[in-house]
Formats: sequence, C-alpha cells, structure tokens
Amino acid sequence: MDCNKQALKLMHKHLDGDITREEESQLKRHLEDCTTCQKHLHELKKTITLIQSTERVKAPEDFTLKVMQQLPVEKKHVKYLR
Amino acid sequence: MELMIKEKIKQVKKGDQAAFEDVVMFYQDKIFQHCYRMLGSTHEAEDIAQEAFIRAYVNIHSYDDRRKFSTWLYRIATNLTIDRLRKRKPDYYLDAEVKGTEGLDMYSQLSSDDKLPEDELEGLELQNYIQKQISELPPKYRSIIMLRYLEEFSLQEISEILDIPIGTVKTRIHRGREALRKKLRHV
Repeated sequence: MDCNKQALKLMHKHLDGDITREEESQLKRHLEDCTTCQKHLHELKKTITLIQSTERVKAPEDFTLKVMQQLPVEKKHVKYLR
Repeated sequence: MELMIKEKIKQVKKGDQAAFEDVVMFYQDKIFQHCYRMLGSTHEAEDIAQEAFIRAYVNIHSYDDRRKFSTWLYRIATNLTIDRLRKRKPDYYLDAEVKGTEGLDMYSQLSSDDKLPEDELEGLELQNYIQKQISELPPKYRSIIMLRYLEEFSLQEISEILDIPIGTVKTRIHRGREALRKKLRHV
C-alpha cells in the first residue's frame, strides 16, 4: 500500500467514521508493517485530543441582557393575536 | 434540549420576545466561543455573537423548524465571522492573532476550576500554544475543525451550516487535521 496516498486516505476515513470494514482491515494490516504510518495515525489522534483539550471560553456575564436590549421593540398587536 | 428550544422558538414566532431570552442564554457560550475562535478577539467575538442572535431573532420566521435550530444559528454566526474577517486588513488580521493581550482577555474570561496554580500555569502555556496554532489555520479550515471537534457537529451538519458539499467538508477536515498535526506533533 502506498503510504502517502492510499494509507493516508484510509486513516482520514477511519477518523471520520467513514471507512468500510474491508478498508479497515486493509489499513490494519498496513499499520502492522509500517511504523511511519502508525506514527502518523497516532499523531493525528493526538492532534484531535489536543484540540479538544483547549479550554472553553464563556460569554460575558451581561451577554444575554445586552442582546435582549438590542432587539427590536415587540409589536403590541402581536400579543393580542396569541 | 433541542425540544425545549423548539418550544421556545414557537413562542418567539408567535411574538413572545421574552421566550428568546432562554434561547440566548442556552446558546450564548457556544456561539460566543465559536466567534472567539474564528476571530481571535473577545471584543469582536462579543460584537459578532450579539449580532448573530439579533439576526436570528429578526429572521426567526425564515427558520424552518423541521431542522435543527443550532445548525441554523451557527450558520448565521459563521457567516458573520467570515464577513468580519474579510473586512479586516490582512496585516491587522495577523497582528490580532499574535498579540498577547487578546490571550489575557480570553483567560480572564475562562470558567474557573480547581486546578493547582502551577498545573494551571503549565496548562495555560500549552493551551495558549494550541489555541495559537488553531487560530493560524486559514478560516475555511478553522471553522470546520472547530465545528467538528469543539462543537461536535456531524460532517452532514457542518455541510449544512457552511452550505458546502459534504465532499468539500471532508477534504477540508483532512487538510485541517494534517496542518495541525504538523504543528502539534512535537507537543
């Protein structure tokens, strides 16, 4: 298997959960023999973990209040329609 | 939760403005974070995230409630961030990302947790580094990587949010992952 083309493509399919059972076993066999690709897949998985490990930012305290204050004024007649 | 939101949207469509408050509260952190990651500035993120909610409110009747509300909302927010990025001067855009103060702004807004100070410091440096690498990705890759790995949308949902074919989503996510792999493998 060509590492740069085929194997790499399969690795990404694997990461996207898009891989067929047959392709999965092809990839598995290739990885058993190819340490370069093993390392590559490991690095890709690590990258994903690192991205997911980044801390979450929160909206400022008064965020919702500010949005609500900027909304166009509620049309009175709509209320009566309910 | 999507069900609760659906109910609120129904009320908003009937003219109940107050019901929109719960919608904003529910999505504010997600949308703010998305804008922040796209723009790299808390100030601009606040501006654009607010605009996204206001537009959602004003255009609520064009939202088709058979679809997921979050997809629709993220689409509005993403389009606004992309417009904002386009309007920036190229040099300003790069500057904003490396400026240290933005990082400080960001961390001053992080939710507090109970980690020990020294762990926190070490974590912060790595966090900073990863955040910087993500922010340096071209926006078309960055948006997809974030939607996939931070907001956990499916590839199909990302294709709807960004209005691009799923094949393009896949190509970009592959390239984005490879670009970040090169930058983060030695971490």
